[in-house]
Amino acid sequence: MEIFQYDFMQRALAAGLITAVICPLIGIFIVMRRQALIGDGLGHIAFAGVTGGYLLGSYPLVVAAIVTAGAACGIEWLRRRHAQYSEIGMAIFFYAGMALAIIFSTMFRMPPSGIMSFLFGSIITVTTTDLAIIGVCALVLIVAVIYLFEKLTLMCLDEDIAIIAGINTTAINMVFAILTALVVVVGMSVVGILLVSALMIVPVAAANLLHRGFRATLLWAVAFSLLAVIAGLILSFYLDIAPGGTIVMNAIGIYLMALIWERVSKPRVRNQADN
Amino acid sequence: MSKIDIKGISFSYGDNAVISNMSLTIAAGEFVAVVGPNGAGKSTLLKLIAGLLQPDTGEILINGGDIAAVRARGLIGYVPQNYANNLGGFPITVEEVVRLGLVTARKYRPDKDHARHIVDHMLSLVGMENFSKCRIGELSGGQQQRVMVARALAGNPELLLLDEPTSGIDYVASKRIFELLARLNRNLGITVVMITHDIIQATQWTSKIACINRGLCYYDASDRFRLEHVLHGHSWL
Repeated sequence: MEIFQYDFMQRALAAGLITAVICPLIGIFIVMRRQALIGDGLGHIAFAGVTGGYLLGSYPLVVAAIVTAGAACGIEWLRRRHAQYSEIGMAIFFYAGMALAIIFSTMFRMPPSGIMSFLFGSIITVTTTDLAIIGVCALVLIVAVIYLFEKLTLMCLDEDIAIIAGINTTAINMVFAILTALVVVVGMSVVGILLVSALMIVPVAAANLLHRGFRATLLWAVAFSLLAVIAGLILSFYLDIAPGGTIVMNAIGIYLMALIWERVSKPRVRNQADN
Repeated sequence: MSKIDIKGISFSYGDNAVISNMSLTIAAGEFVAVVGPNGAGKSTLLKLIAGLLQPDTGEILINGGDIAAVRARGLIGYVPQNYANNLGGFPITVEEVVRLGLVTARKYRPDKDHARHIVDHMLSLVGMENFSKCRIGELSGGQQQRVMVARALAGNPELLLLDEPTSGIDYVASKRIFELLARLNRNLGITVVMITHDIIQATQWTSKIACINRGLCYYDASDRFRLEHVLHGHSWL
C-alpha cells in the first residue's frame, strides 16, 4: 500500500503490530483478575518516568520502564501485604505518579508538544531506537507469558488453588507486575498514556463476547487488536486524524459489533447470564 | 492416602479468636464433614489444613510431616467456596478448567494425549463428559461444583479439601455431590475433608462429622446420639 512506502509509516506499523499482540496477551489476565484499571494507573506512573527521564537527560522510555516496573512491584507488594488497603494504596501510587510528572515537566520546562505526544501517543514519530526497545520488551514478554501461561491462568481462576498446588504465586505475581509495566511503556508510544489501557482491555472484552474458551478468547483478542491498529493507522493517515485515538475508537467499534453479534446469536446464553 | 493430625491449634483474626486449642485427627482414607454455624471457624480450619493460614499456636501435620512438603508434591486438591460468583464472565471451557488441575509443583507433566485422557476420565467420573466444550460460567451451580471436583481430582491428590461445595444448590444436586465424593473416597482411597451446612446428607454419606462451635471441636465418629446432642445444644440448628 502507498502509505507504507514511507519509512516512518513502516516503523509505525511495526510498533503498532507488536503492541497489538502484547496488549491483549497481558490484558486477558488483567481482565480476569478484575484489575482493568491497573493499566490506567501505571500509565500515570510511566508519565512520571518519561518526564523524569527528560529531566535526567536519560532515554525517557528506559527510565519510564524502570520507574513503572518498580511501582508495579510496589503495588503488588501492597496488594499481598495489606489487601484491605490495596485500593487506596494503589490510588496514592497513581496520584503520586501524575503529580511527579507535572513537577518534572515544569522543572524541565518540557514543551507542550512533548507532553502531548506521551499523553496521546505518537506512533508516527517512533524512531528506530524506540522500535528496538519495543521489540526487546515484546520478546521478553511473549516468552515469559508462554512459559507462565498455565500458572497465570490457574491464578486467575483462584489464587488459593494455585498456592495449594505448590506454585510460587508471590514470584509469579511480581513477574506479572513487571510485564504489565513493560506493556504500558510500550503501548504508551503507540496510543499514549491516556489510552494504553484501552488496547489492553477492549479487544479482550470484545473477544469475551464470542463465548469461547480461554486460548480461543486470547487469539480472538489479538486478532481484534491487530485489526484495530492496522485500520487505525490507515484511517488516521488518510483522514489526517490522531492515530492513537483512531486505533482505540476502532477497538471500541469492534467491541460494539461483537456485542451486537452476541445479542443476535446468543440470546440463550445472555438469558442464563442475566439470571 | 493422607492422615491429618491437628494438635492444639489456635488462630485469631486480630483480637477475634476463631479457633482455640483445637485438636483433631483425621485418619488416612476417611471422609469427614465439618459442620457448624456461620463464623464458627470452619473455613479457617480448612485454610489452616491447606497451609493458606498459619496457626498462632499448635501444629498441623500431614502424614507426620509439614504441610509444605505435601503441597510441594502437589498432593492436595482444593475446592474453594463461592465459585459460582467468580465464574460468570470467565472465558474458560470445562475441559480447560479440568486441565488446570494438572498444573502443580510436580516436575512430571503428562504429554498432550495423556492429559486429554486424564481430563476425559475426570469429567466422566463426575458425570460431566458431555459438557467439555461449554464455558463453565454457563453451567448451573451444581454442575460447576462437579467440574471443580474434577479439576481437583485431575492432579491425582491424596487429600481433597472442599469448602461448602453444596452451598446455594438444590437438594438433588447436593445429594449428587455427596454421592460422588463418597464414591471417590471409597474407590480411590482419597482422604476427603468437606465443609457443609447440609447435616442430613453429611450423616448419610460421610464416615465422620466434626462439629465446630465457639472455637471448640466436638469430634465424634458416627455416634449420631452425641452429634444430635451437640447440634441441638446450640441455637444454630
